[in-house]
Amino acid sequence: MEIALTLDSVSKNFGDFKAVDDVSFEIPAGIICGFLGPNGAGKTTTIRMILEILRPSAGSITVLGAPSALEVRDRIGYLPEEKGLYKKMTAVGIITYFATLKGMRTSTARKKARALLEQYGLGDFADSKCEALSKGMSQKVQVLASMVHDPEFVILDEPFSGLDPVNQQVMEEVIRDMRKRGATVIFSTHVMSHAERICERILLMAKGKIIFDGSIADARRTIPRRVLISTDASIEALLGVEGVLGSRRPDGEEDSGSWEILIDDDLDPQELLRSAFDNGIALESFQHSEPTLHDVFVHLVGDDAKIAEAR
Amino acid sequence: MKRSLRVAVREYLENIKTKGFWIGILIFPLLIWGMSELPILLEEKGIPTRHFILIDPAEDLGEIVERRVSRINRRRELTKLFEHVMKHGKQDRSSAIDLEQAQEQLESLLEEAGSSLDELGNPFSAASSLAKVADLLPDQFLENESAFKAMKSMVLSQLPAEAPPFQVPSKKFQRVWPPEGLLDGASETKDIEKRLKPYLAGKKLITSGGEEKELFALVIIPEDLPQTRKGLRFWSSNLANTDLKEAIEDSITKEVRSREFIKRNIDIQIIAEVTSIRLRSENFDPRKSEGEEKVGIKDQIRQWAPVGFVYLLWIAIFSVAQMLLNNTIEEKSSRVMEVLLSSVTAFELMMGKILGIAAVGVTLLSAWVGSLVAILALKAGPDAQWAFDLLAVVLTADLLVPFAIYFLLGYLLYASIFASLGSICNTIKDAQNFMGPVVLILMVPLVTMAFIPEEPNGTLARILSWIPLYTPFVMMNRAAASPPAFDLWGTSILLLVSVVLMMFAAARIFRVGILRTGQLPRVVELLRWLRKA
Repeated sequence: MEIALTLDSVSKNFGDFKAVDDVSFEIPAGIICGFLGPNGAGKTTTIRMILEILRPSAGSITVLGAPSALEVRDRIGYLPEEKGLYKKMTAVGIITYFATLKGMRTSTARKKARALLEQYGLGDFADSKCEALSKGMSQKVQVLASMVHDPEFVILDEPFSGLDPVNQQVMEEVIRDMRKRGATVIFSTHVMSHAERICERILLMAKGKIIFDGSIADARRTIPRRVLISTDASIEALLGVEGVLGSRRPDGEEDSGSWEILIDDDLDPQELLRSAFDNGIALESFQHSEPTLHDVFVHLVGDDAKIAEAR
Repeated sequence: MKRSLRVAVREYLENIKTKGFWIGILIFPLLIWGMSELPILLEEKGIPTRHFILIDPAEDLGEIVERRVSRINRRRELTKLFEHVMKHGKQDRSSAIDLEQAQEQLESLLEEAGSSLDELGNPFSAASSLAKVADLLPDQFLENESAFKAMKSMVLSQLPAEAPPFQVPSKKFQRVWPPEGLLDGASETKDIEKRLKPYLAGKKLITSGGEEKELFALVIIPEDLPQTRKGLRFWSSNLANTDLKEAIEDSITKEVRSREFIKRNIDIQIIAEVTSIRLRSENFDPRKSEGEEKVGIKDQIRQWAPVGFVYLLWIAIFSVAQMLLNNTIEEKSSRVMEVLLSSVTAFELMMGKILGIAAVGVTLLSAWVGSLVAILALKAGPDAQWAFDLLAVVLTADLLVPFAIYFLLGYLLYASIFASLGSICNTIKDAQNFMGPVVLILMVPLVTMAFIPEEPNGTLARILSWIPLYTPFVMMNRAAASPPAFDLWGTSILLLVSVVLMMFAAARIFRVGILRTGQLPRVVELLRWLRKA
């Protein structure tokens, strides 16, 4: 399997603060990878180091086989978290400019820029100045600017922020299109549902460390499965079923009749339902669902995220 | 390098698209044109005839004043007439041919009027051209009605038939009389003044020649002025224009003096002859080549022309370095920076910006110098020798070459300072806090600019030359005075070294600064950036 990106024991310190602490991972070529983590986890710093905008304090990074992104920068596309355009330049002008910085010829770049704007519904605004575009439009322009040169490796930092639901879907399409073309895509986001829908691989970062690296299924497995029930009766009998790990009141519903029953991977939830019947426990509701990525996120970094927010 | 060039090209194209750039390009030639045309325009249209009332109960000195006023008006008319003829006369006619023929013509005209050149004083004897005749015209020609007319018709006859007719200019001063009956019964000075005050203050208008005019001044000559020599009163609400006041004072003083000479039995003729003696020095410059040491107007221009260049240099360096600062801050505050940095390195970006803006500066300066040369070339003609001289001085390599070199080095020095400044500021407002001290430091070459040509190799000039921030301006200022080779080369090398060092420092600060947001870095931090990276 071809490897698009390798980080080997990478650290970055700002003074005494360790923004990124001994991070190692590999991303195979041709996948979509979600880069998740609470605010202040070190995602943007890591991305900047991958792009050689910042240099790591320690460790090494290999991008598309090169020891520095600078050597292969024409094959990389980047959409930063802080997005901006030259206010006085036209949409087509700015996309052309970024394309020429990536080594494209001006005339080719201009044609490609127009085609892309047309394709993503901005054809009428191609010659408008960027200051006249809405936020959603200018974000699209930026995304187009980061992919106009058909990069093999694309890094998108918070591509969904600031977009309405329709445009968020368009953005998901864009990312899938890149993947279809054979590009490797890494994107960071706070919105787990996007990652859940389009990622094959997830990296979860907190406090400068990678705390999870694997598929979505792997991620779900990091937290116990749960069954939610509602009853006024005692649930003592259910806890004796083999494979039940424990029970707790869901957050914020301590006084109600709701229970969260944690079960291991081997237990069929139907067993639990049968046991309730057998023991005469009258259930008002019974719900079994796979944990979402959101649950995984809160489970893995919940406290860290709160601390980070408060900082 | 290719990427830097791409950045430079965008920077250049985007900047020359701005309105500010075109205003900058156009305003300079407009100013130059305005400065050369305005005085003429002002003289032609701007200053109206000054009407004044003269109260002279003794009916004595008033006539002297009137004679002076008429001389001023006539000289003005003749000067304009000469200019008109010079301007519209055929080029080849104006210089050589006419003088003798003109003199003969004038002599015959004077003879008809019962006068002669010998009697009036001959302006042709020392004149090399008709223009010079105007300058040398003796007062007698102006005081004598028929001589004045003879002179006028002689000059007018030089005008080719196809030339536009001569418009007699308005008079500079015109005596008017108080409104009828206004001063009846007012014998005391105080009363007269009181009654005329509303006219002087512009509340009432005076009638002269059937038209209403503003009264410019009131002059009261007391009866006993020749004896007491005091009490001459001049009223006017215009304190700035002293021409009339000076003319009156001077004419009366001269008259009172000559009466005194007569009283003391001193021959006025002798006095007039003696006071007409004027000595002028011829100036030489030892640095000029053998036989050509004489200093002329051209040398004066050469001495002062650098001041103009320093000013251009200053404005150009500042306006373009400021552009660099603003653009950097714009990229930073609009967050374009980070996308750029995934395609170009911080150093490539900085160099690209510096190059692109330098091209803007070169365009600006070429336009300025070009328009200056064009305007001078248009102006230059037989009646504007100065434009020829100035053009010759401007176009010499002694000034243009140092100008180009000092612009480039000075720009690079300031560009690296402004680029690093721009990289650490988040908003224009942050930058303005720094700009205060920077502007203060930069005022020095502007303030000293006017003194340095007086002593171009003096202590002040030398000290300032050795401060790299000032080297381009001060050395440009001294360029015409052949500064010692030690100063010339020493300061240049020091400047070059400073530019290189500053560029290195700027590259480091820029690299860290452009990605930093929030609080401005402290000096200690800046120093740390310089050591590391």
